Amino acid sequence: MNLSSSYLLSLTTFIYLGAAALYMIHWIFRVRQVGVLATVVTVGGFLVQTAGIILRWTESYRLGYGHAPLSNLYESLVFFSWVTILVYLVIEWRVKRRVIGAFATPFASLAMAYASFSPKVADSIEPLIPALQSNWLLAHVITCFLGYASFAVACGLGIMYLVKMKGAHHDEKPESVIGSLPRLKVLDDLMHQTIIFGFLWLSVGIITGAVWANQAWGTYWSWDPKETWSLITWFIYATALHARFVRGWAGQRIAWLSIIGFLSVIFTYFGVNFLLSGLHSYGSG
Amino acid sequence: MKKTATYSQENPVIRFFSSVHLAIFLLIALAVTSIIGTIIPQGQSQQFYLDNFGPTMSKLTKILHLNDTYHSWWYLSLLALFSTNLIVCTLKRLPFTLKLFKKDNLAVSSDYLTRMPYKRIWRVKDGVLDNELMQKLLSTFQKKAGSFQKKPNVDGGTLFLVEKGKWSYWGLYGVHLSILIIFLGAVFGSFYGFKGRIMLMEGETTDHAVRFDTAAPIPLGFSIRCDHFFVSFYDNGAPKEFRSDLTILEKGKEVLHKAILVNDPLEYKGVTFYQASYQAIPEVTIRVASSTGIQRSFIIPAFQKVSWPESSMTLALLKYIPNIHGVPAARIWIGDGTGQGHALWVLQGRTEKYTRGDTTYELSLVSASERYMTGLQVKKDPGVWIVWLGCTALILGFAIVFWVPHRRSWLWVGPKDGETQVILSGQTNKNKIHFEKDFRELEDSINSVLGNQ
Ligand code: HEM
Repeated sequence: MNLSSSYLLSLTTFIYLGAAALYMIHWIFRVRQVGVLATVVTVGGFLVQTAGIILRWTESYRLGYGHAPLSNLYESLVFFSWVTILVYLVIEWRVKRRVIGAFATPFASLAMAYASFSPKVADSIEPLIPALQSNWLLAHVITCFLGYASFAVACGLGIMYLVKMKGAHHDEKPESVIGSLPRLKVLDDLMHQTIIFGFLWLSVGIITGAVWANQAWGTYWSWDPKETWSLITWFIYATALHARFVRGWAGQRIAWLSIIGFLSVIFTYFGVNFLLSGLHSYGSG
Repeated sequence: MKKTATYSQENPVIRFFSSVHLAIFLLIALAVTSIIGTIIPQGQSQQFYLDNFGPTMSKLTKILHLNDTYHSWWYLSLLALFSTNLIVCTLKRLPFTLKLFKKDNLAVSSDYLTRMPYKRIWRVKDGVLDNELMQKLLSTFQKKAGSFQKKPNVDGGTLFLVEKGKWSYWGLYGVHLSILIIFLGAVFGSFYGFKGRIMLMEGETTDHAVRFDTAAPIPLGFSIRCDHFFVSFYDNGAPKEFRSDLTILEKGKEVLHKAILVNDPLEYKGVTFYQASYQAIPEVTIRVASSTGIQRSFIIPAFQKVSWPESSMTLALLKYIPNIHGVPAARIWIGDGTGQGHALWVLQGRTEKYTRGDTTYELSLVSASERYMTGLQVKKDPGVWIVWLGCTALILGFAIVFWVPHRRSWLWVGPKDGETQVILSGQTNKNKIHFEKDFRELEDSINSVLGNQ
C-alpha cells in the first residue's frame, strides 16, 4: 500500500487519543512511568503528524497545484492540533510537569478526531482560488494558529486552576489527585505567560490578515464577521492581561477569562463559518 | 504594577480616566457590543429590519444605528473613551517609568544584595584575594555577564554591576501608543481617502470611479483603460485566475501597463486598483433579411441598442444563453422607434419571422461571443502607512514586553563580618527560568576562580 498523508494523519488521531488517555492515567493514578510513556507517545505522534503534513504538501504538488497544506478547514484543524502539541511539549520541557498534558493534549486529539471523522470536513486537496493565492495566506494562518494553540493550552491551564481551587480545601496532600496539580501561583504564572504568548501571535495574525486583505481587496479592515470575532477574542484576552492589575481580580477570574476566551476562539473558527456569513466563508468545507 | 502612593488630593477626573478598571470595563464593553454587528446584518434598508425583526427592533436599530454598528455614535464613543483612557493612563505612568529607567542600580548596599532572589556569598581567607585573583575574578565576571560599571567605597568594598535591557520598560509604551497610532491612521484615511469601484469593458477608458458610499463620481486625475480581461478555471471548475491588463493614460499618453491579479493590484499616484469582480457581456451578430430584399447584419452588444433607421427599427439584446439544445440562443427585442416592440428568441441555425405592416423580416443568429467587463475596486488611503506604523510598533512593543528582560547582576567585593567576602547577586523582571540558568553558570565560573574558598 502506498503511504498516503491521510493514512498518517488518521493514525495521528489515534496516537494523540492514546497520549491524552495516558496523561489522564498518569495524573489520576500518579504513576511516573505512565507519564514518561505519555510523553514518548506524544512525541511519536508529533513526528508522524509532521510527516503526514509534509507528505500532504508534496501530494498537492503531484496533483499539479502545489500549495502549503493550510488552505481549508481540514488542513487548518490538522495544523491547529500540530501547533497545540508543539506548544505543549515546549511547556512540558521547560516546566517539567506532565500533569499539564492531561489538560492540553485532549484539545489536539479532539481537533484531529473532528478533522478525520466529521462528515462536514472534507479532506481532499483542492487547488487555491485566486483570493487565496498569496504568501500572506501562510503568514496569516501560521500566526493565527500559533495564537489559537496557545489559547487552547491556556484554557487547559485555566481548567486546572479551577479544579485545583475547588478541591484545594479538602485535598491538599501532594500525592492526591488535586494535590499533584501544580500550585495555584505556578498555574497563574504559566497561564499568564501562555496568554501573553498567544496574544502576541493573535495580534500578528490579525495584522497579517489586515495586510493581506488590503492587498487583495483594498481594505485592511471591513468588519466582516470573522474579523470582528477575532477582534472580540482579542478584547477578551486583553481583559485577561489587564485583570491582574486590578486588585481583587485574582487568578480565578483570569482562569475564567482564559476559558471564555478559548470559547470565543472556537466560535471565531467554526461558529462564524457555519452560522454567520462573510468573506471568510470559503474556510468552511 | 508598582503600587505608588495614591494621592488623596488627586484630581478625580484624572483618576477616573487613568484607571485600569475603566480599561477593563471598556474592553469587556467593546467585546460584548461588537457581537451585535455580527448577528444583525449590516448596511440593510430600514424596510429590511422592519420585515425581519419587527417594529420595536427596527426602531431600536434606527436609534442605535445598528445597521452600521461599528460607525454608530455609541460605538465610536466607546472607542474615543478607550483612547482617552490610554492617553491619560500613559501620561500618568510616564514619571514612574522615568524614575525606574533613571534609577541608579549602583546605589545599593551590600546587605541589599544579600536579600536578592539569586545570590551567592564566598568567604575568602585574608590575603588570598590579591590583585591577580581580583583581575581573574573581574575578567570572568565580564566574560560571563557582560561589561560592567564600577563603584568604589560601597560599604567599604567595591561594587560592580552589569545591567541589561533597562530600556525594555518602554516596550509597553510601544504597545499602548500603537493602538492610538492605528486609530489615528484609520481616522486620517477616512478623511482624506476614498473607496469606490469602476466597471470597465475591454477596450474602454475612464477617468473617474464611483464612490461606494454615496455613488458620487470621483475624478481620478488620469485615465485608466482595460485592454483585456482573462479568466481561467481548474479542471474541477473552481476559478484559477482573474486578470485584467490595464493601461494608465495621462492626457491621452500611455504611461504605465500592468496586469493585475486578485492579490496583485496596481498603484498609481496613491490610487490603488484591485481586481474585484468581472462580468461576461455577450455580443451577438444578427442577420435581418426583409421581404423587400434588403439584408443586413448587426452586432448587438448587451446593454446597447442598435438602430436601422431605413426600416425605422431598433434592435436590442435582452438575454443571451450560450447553450440551449446545443446551440446559443438570444432573445432579441425589435422596436419600431416609438417604444412599441416585440421580443423573440433566435436560435442559431434557425430563422425567426417577424412581420410588421406588410413587410416580413427573417432573423437569424450568425454568431455570438462574449466580451468581458472587469470590476475594479478603487482605493485611496493615505492613512494606511500610519496604520502599518502602528502595527509595527505593536508587534515590536510586544516582542520587548515578552522577551526582553531587565537584568541586573551585582558583584561586591569587600570586608564584611571580619573577613573578605565576595557577594554575587542577580535580579530579573521576567523570564526567571532562563535567568536562573545563566546565573548558575556565572556562579560556577566564579566559584572555580575562587576555588571554593
Ligand atoms: C487594546 C489595547 C491594549 C493592549 C493591547 C494592551 C496591552 C498590554 C500589555 C501586553 C500589557 C503587559 C501585560 C503584562 O506584562 O502582564 C499591558 C499592561 C498594562 N496596561 Fe495595557 N493594553 C491596552 C489597553 C490599556 C488601557 C486602555 C489602559 C488604561 C488604563 C492600559 C493600562 C495598562 C497598565 C496600567 C498596564 C500595567 C503596566 C505595568 O506592568 O505596570 N492598557 N497592556
